[in-house]
Amino acid sequence: MSTSPKPLPLEGIRVLDFGQFVAIPFCTLWLAQLGAEIISVESSSRLTARGAPPFEEGQEGNRNASGYFNSLYATKKSLTLDLATKEGKRIVHELVAVCDVVVENFATGVIEKLGFGYDVLARINPGIVMISNGAFGRTGPMKDGRGLHSTVNLFSGVADVTGYVDSGPRIMGSVLPDPLSGTYAAFAILAALEHRSHTGLGQYVDVAMYEAMLTLIPEAVIDLTMNGVEPRRVGNRDRQKAPHGIYPAAGEDRWLALSIADDQSWQAFCHSVGRTDLASDSRFANAPARLENVEALDAEVASCTSVHDLYAMVAQLQAAGVMAGPVLRSDELLDNPQLDARGMVVSIDHPVANRHRHLGLPWTMDSLGTRSTRAPLLGEHSREIIIGLLGRTEAEYEQLERDRILT
Amino acid sequence: MPIASERNSSLETHAAQQARGALGALSVVEFGEGTAAAYTAKLLADFGADVVKVERPQGDPTRSRGPFPDGKADPDASGLFLYLNSNKRGVVLDVETGAGAEALDRLLTSADIFVTDVAPSVLRAAGCDPEVLRGRHPRLIVATLSPFGRGGPWSDWMGDELIAYAASGMAYGTPGIPDAADDLYAEPPLHPSCFASETIAGASAAVAVMTAVMGRRRTGEGCHLDLSFQAASAAVQIRDLMPASYGGAIYNRLLNPTSIGRMPNFYLPCQDGYVTIAAPMDIHWNRLAEAMGNPAWALSADFATEPARARNWIELRERLAAWAMGCTRNQLQSIGERYGLMMFPFHSIRQMAASDHARDRASLVDLAVGNRPAQMPGAPFKMAATPWSLRRPAPRFSPEDDAGVAPIGEVA
Repeated sequence: MSTSPKPLPLEGIRVLDFGQFVAIPFCTLWLAQLGAEIISVESSSRLTARGAPPFEEGQEGNRNASGYFNSLYATKKSLTLDLATKEGKRIVHELVAVCDVVVENFATGVIEKLGFGYDVLARINPGIVMISNGAFGRTGPMKDGRGLHSTVNLFSGVADVTGYVDSGPRIMGSVLPDPLSGTYAAFAILAALEHRSHTGLGQYVDVAMYEAMLTLIPEAVIDLTMNGVEPRRVGNRDRQKAPHGIYPAAGEDRWLALSIADDQSWQAFCHSVGRTDLASDSRFANAPARLENVEALDAEVASCTSVHDLYAMVAQLQAAGVMAGPVLRSDELLDNPQLDARGMVVSIDHPVANRHRHLGLPWTMDSLGTRSTRAPLLGEHSREIIIGLLGRTEAEYEQLERDRILT
Repeated sequence: MPIASERNSSLETHAAQQARGALGALSVVEFGEGTAAAYTAKLLADFGADVVKVERPQGDPTRSRGPFPDGKADPDASGLFLYLNSNKRGVVLDVETGAGAEALDRLLTSADIFVTDVAPSVLRAAGCDPEVLRGRHPRLIVATLSPFGRGGPWSDWMGDELIAYAASGMAYGTPGIPDAADDLYAEPPLHPSCFASETIAGASAAVAVMTAVMGRRRTGEGCHLDLSFQAASAAVQIRDLMPASYGGAIYNRLLNPTSIGRMPNFYLPCQDGYVTIAAPMDIHWNRLAEAMGNPAWALSADFATEPARARNWIELRERLAAWAMGCTRNQLQSIGERYGLMMFPFHSIRQMAASDHARDRASLVDLAVGNRPAQMPGAPFKMAATPWSLRRPAPRFSPEDDAGVAPIGEVA
């Protein structure tokens, strides 16, 4: 656990979290790190994240040892509740009265069927901010469509500009529609809380994952709708810079990213990799010529880079004034000296899953603090929430347990 | 207690606040060149903040990027610039001169938020180092965005959209297939043809800025927020990092069982496009087998169980591709609907834009680029009480033909 002494910006904000998969849990992970109290409502009968790999070695299937859960639910509280029961629903309604925000990413219609639609919750607490997140959103003819990240990628149009030269569409990595829509959900929550601070009123926000992805491709959307220009997949090339791409480095599956916008950088590149012949090659003399001869250019550049050690080459090119960088693998991010120097790599101890590293927030703050504590054990905070927050008695709590409401 | 109880006599009427948008009480100065900072300020502006965009005399480079009507360059008709900068007011300042720096500082005196992604050397010349600004304007929230961030061994590296994206792990993790089932060199790490890492950074910075607005209400103090494109795109890889954090496995772009778990869960070519097919658990697999007419191979010991499908995933991919190639995208989508399977076809931007769903939700909205009608992405989320709105066009750069636009140095 690490807690900095600086004030936590979202301290005092309480969120009732019905999130699952990645999108909403990612959203509330950020809010938790910034100081908000996140009450994750779990049920033993649908432990999707706790059952997902990877697990701590030797603990496969242990619902407190899932790396998937422990990464996404760090710094949150766990309340187990049977939402199908009348008493379970009553507890949710009592929680809504003392919470600021409710978040959910069930399939469309599920939250209303459970009795927790926005209209119901706003009558209990007019200040409540409620966020729904789904593949296609909560309105429109496809609102009932189910979809994971690959579906969203394929519908959003982003796959239309992602792919190798003259090849088929590709989806982006990192289940991006989930965390990207989660980022927008976090912004929407903070915007709605800002609005509430002036009016006292909450509101409902509908986040569609495909619309979040659509924000990545304004150029292609505008060119198509204005000029009728269909997107062309061009691999890693750019329409103004050349060479611009990802080229092999020495070793297995190691790659260099290179982005050269002007002739001076091109000259510096050629000299840095010891290819003065390319520096004087008329096919590559200026940017228009390099774009014209981009096939030959890319082949020459690849033959230069493939014999050099990646990091030594990056250091040398940067020193020579050439925009170059390593293509990092996901496992290298945790060891990355730059992310580590910025305090983004966080180690968290866990009594069941032991110590693991995670990536924290991607920004630093000089006057405000963040925190990272371990993910909760299943139902760890049920007692604290039912008795401490809702004011039920010990006897009432025990009755809820006997009635299997808190499972 | 929830903050809702903070009601006081200065509350506006709900209607007045609605008309201004959720962020109508905030004023922002943006000094951005490119996508990242401009996008942060766009999100704030689109939900109601008063944003003044500062440009240097040479203009934001996005003005020369386009897309332009018929491809003809025009600083006032760059589609990307207009998309990023609608809802903002504009001013041109030579911030590296005394008068320009003074004018910028006057703007900052009454601002809540300053967002920038220009080079540190330019900020320094304008007297706008974050530390200096924090001293001069203690309540100001200062957000700086750059490829690698301020501080740390790589902070002086030159970088852009591609370099930061590559260094964030995103390019490596972009899945290959369907053409190369098991070949890391056939499909190198891939960057999409768009400003992905800058947009992700801009959206993350908008969260950071609003966090600092909340924090300022508690402390009365401003904040310097420093965000890197690399860090923002690394943060969204939370799922791909788990195997590395737990057990040291490497997630790679081959979409194999070690990367993404149960099979099948990948996308494949079909007769007239591409389709994703997810039938990871046996219950799904049995339904998919039925949809395929229960072929003997699907029911054989090589494919009937989860472990078997994981073991034989390359052959599984080939067999499913052979089946999918016999079907159209529409056939596959309706099979998915009928059998309760997650099967979904690739949509080109044109197909998405023309869909009833995108039209019904106004996912795209009208934008005039010069005299040409176009459409751009609309609200990234729908706020019921304080909706996204397009209130004013982006600032013009060639004001001589437009009496309504202020000369250099005055906010239009």
